[in-house]
Amino acid sequence: MVSLIGDTLFTKSQQRILGLLYGKSDKSFYLNEIVRLADMGKGAIKRELEKMCAAELLTVTRQGNQNHYQANPNNPIFFELKAIVQKTFGVSDCVKSALESLLPALEMVFIYGSIAKGSEGGGSDVDVMLVGDDLSYSGVMTLLEPAETALGRQINPTLYTPKAFSERVNTNQNFITSVIQQPKIWLKGEDSVLLPPGDELNMS
Amino acid sequence: MTESNTRIALDNLVKVNKLKLEPPDQAEFNGMLKAAKNKLKDVMLDGLSTDSQFSLAYSAAHALALAALRWHGYRSDNRYLVFQCLQHTLGLSTIKWRVLDKCHNARNLAEYEGHLEIDAQLLKELIEITLECQELVAALPGLE
Repeated sequence: MVSLIGDTLFTKSQQRILGLLYGKSDKSFYLNEIVRLADMGKGAIKRELEKMCAAELLTVTRQGNQNHYQANPNNPIFFELKAIVQKTFGVSDCVKSALESLLPALEMVFIYGSIAKGSEGGGSDVDVMLVGDDLSYSGVMTLLEPAETALGRQINPTLYTPKAFSERVNTNQNFITSVIQQPKIWLKGEDSVLLPPGDELNMS
Repeated sequence: MTESNTRIALDNLVKVNKLKLEPPDQAEFNGMLKAAKNKLKDVMLDGLSTDSQFSLAYSAAHALALAALRWHGYRSDNRYLVFQCLQHTLGLSTIKWRVLDKCHNARNLAEYEGHLEIDAQLLKELIEITLECQELVAALPGLE
């Protein structure tokens, strides 16, 4: 789950915080919520939040006994920072929210290719694999269109039914085999579902 | 899309050397339409492999997209562009030409990288969109 541009510009904890708060800039988050969603240590997150508040990238408001943090729309680089987040480490959230209405019916969804490998360039597509029944390219592409606009990248979906997907996994079909071995950003599902039992350690 | 918007969009592509101007020709147009019709009929033949069905349907889609472009008085050797212009030449939705573009990439993978895995859903949508293009092209008024 790496992003070359993102990693160059920001530390992991900064990316997680900005991805969350600038990814959903109209929402405020309380500390424990951020720690849970960012899946990082509380100390590191707290230090970063304090720094970002001091720089006025974030605002903090006291609600009850909780501090709520939110992206500060009045900072001079608010729009630029939001765009950087969306175009780099915010890709997964953007694609995920575009597919939200489909997610419950899907078995697996993941981003693969250059974005997932962290080797993306400015013109790289976002490759997304969707495994589920009754999907159509025109339907999925229609849902993804706003995300393409927001990200400024083409999104290239590939669709499989669960049956077709597992058949191809079982017959070691080239494309699926190479996708399975690549790094993935999971939007639904996890690596372990792709592997025979006991083989988890071979995953990159 | 109005006739003048179509012309502006296509003329802009001529200015950046993506399209060439070439007067339309009824005999050529009829030939492309007939070739597409034959291919689409053959797609439905029993016993064809999905690879062959895909090749036939893709080739019919290209013939129809090119016929539509030629009807307007333009030409391009670039298949991506010929499909992209469908939004202007036949008023096809952008999503549909994006699906055709996806088919174009799948066909390139098949022809140049031996990737013969044809996606049944993509084939189904390719045939649907191609049939729609066939109707739209057939409904274009005759050329003088």
